[in-house]
Amino acid sequence: MIKAGQIDKGTALLIKGQPFVCIDREFVNPGKGSAFVRLKLKNPGTGQILAETMKSQDNAEDITVEDRDCQYLYNDGESFHLMLTDTYDQIEVPMANFPDYEFLMKDGDTYRCTFWEEQLLDIQIPSKVVYLVAEAEEAIKGDTVQGATKYVVTETGLKVKCPIFIKQGEKIRVNTETKEYLERVNS
Amino acid sequence: MKHIDKLKAAKNRSTLYSNIRNFFNQKNYLEVETPSLSPTLIPESTIENFSTQFTSEFLPSKELYLIPSPEIFMKQLISEGFPSIYQFSKCFRNSEQIGKQHNIEFTMLEYYSINMDEQDSIELTSEMIRKTHLKDCPSWALPPFRKMSVNDAMKQYCDVDLEKCQKQSLLYEKAIKLGLSNVKRNESWESTFNRIFLTFVEPNLPQDKPLILDNYPKQIDCLATNDKSSPFKKRWEMYIGGLEVANCYDELKDKEKVEEYYKKEYSTLIRERSLTNRVIPDIDHEYHEIFNSFPQTSGVAIGMDRLLMSQMNIDNIEGVILFPFSDIIR
Repeated sequence: MIKAGQIDKGTALLIKGQPFVCIDREFVNPGKGSAFVRLKLKNPGTGQILAETMKSQDNAEDITVEDRDCQYLYNDGESFHLMLTDTYDQIEVPMANFPDYEFLMKDGDTYRCTFWEEQLLDIQIPSKVVYLVAEAEEAIKGDTVQGATKYVVTETGLKVKCPIFIKQGEKIRVNTETKEYLERVNS
Repeated sequence: MKHIDKLKAAKNRSTLYSNIRNFFNQKNYLEVETPSLSPTLIPESTIENFSTQFTSEFLPSKELYLIPSPEIFMKQLISEGFPSIYQFSKCFRNSEQIGKQHNIEFTMLEYYSINMDEQDSIELTSEMIRKTHLKDCPSWALPPFRKMSVNDAMKQYCDVDLEKCQKQSLLYEKAIKLGLSNVKRNESWESTFNRIFLTFVEPNLPQDKPLILDNYPKQIDCLATNDKSSPFKKRWEMYIGGLEVANCYDELKDKEKVEEYYKKEYSTLIRERSLTNRVIPDIDHEYHEIFNSFPQTSGVAIGMDRLLMSQMNIDNIEGVILFPFSDIIR
């Protein structure tokens, strides 16, 4: 058991027998009221999102999770196929539970994954990742407007708004939470 | 905060304070200054307090408290026959979350208007913001206000009619139906209400204009009068950009009811804090006596730091405070 006030992003809880991971947390003090935490929770098994408000002194049932390394193999359009690097066991998870992850994960790369009783709860993608630019429009000649941008597509299919000087074959660092361009990486 | 932003925040605060002073002075409100340290507080079980020690070679030492609001002294002035008054006051609330919306020391603008009720205070507050706001204030932070009752908001956003759920057991059923898992069968009506309100209503309140949310449930005990024909209090809160910025009462002036509030709230406060090391402030058991001569009054408290945030279009309170608490305790 933990106090609701100690729940943070990433904390795993058991609610009505189902595992949920906290994806957003906000403290609220209503004008004439005690301290509450407003939580957004996600059941990684079903993708269900749950809104919940707890008093910071409420008890919540936290669950012990473990992190294991998984290699991302491929997706078949419906599921991600991953392999546990320690046992070589393969696992399959519905892509719908991890929206947009197909554009963020690179085939063959290894990710830390959170498990609860054999169930995959979370695939931890680093907050900043370097991607190869697979497609980029040519910058229009004479377009010298400061701060002008264009879209490029990475090796994983992620569409990113970039400064116009980024060319195909170059590498860029991207914030995977906001999917925003951060900088050009010289290789 | 960068030096340039800090300077801008300081200048904006100075301008806004000066505009507000002019506004109230023109309306013949008297600016007052009351103590920050007090030997007693109004009991409020949900607000944690700071205590300190008065020491002297000549007088017995005494525990004193930093005020969470200037209400205790300002009401005393009203009972002594003062005209309508206002004050910018430093207020202190212990244990508040340190973050984007709270600073444990903050500035409250509090004004008490004689011969006015909470509806008149809406007009006054609207006029005040309209006439005093900063030049670059975004339009969503400016009047005209939207207005909605708490019950209409509950009905609209989660289909709960509070008039039909006056018993906790009924509200509990609604909460379970809405999918809340942590709600307790034996908790207070207020706790269950807050869980529903904070989960389904507050995050969805309109933000295109300042919102007056009025008629708060009478189960949330405070020093506002009860509406005679409904289970609500004559109290409103103002939200700007989704953030709670002001609170207003039609001030309770019935001394028996004030005494009753004091007893009930203080016993809750003691019950909740006695097994912990939280501060239990002294209270003045005779405070209700000031209501022997208390005129019809409406009081408004505005969090100035939050008002500044809205007018500067900044979403972090630390962007308007020169020395935020999180910086000075590092």
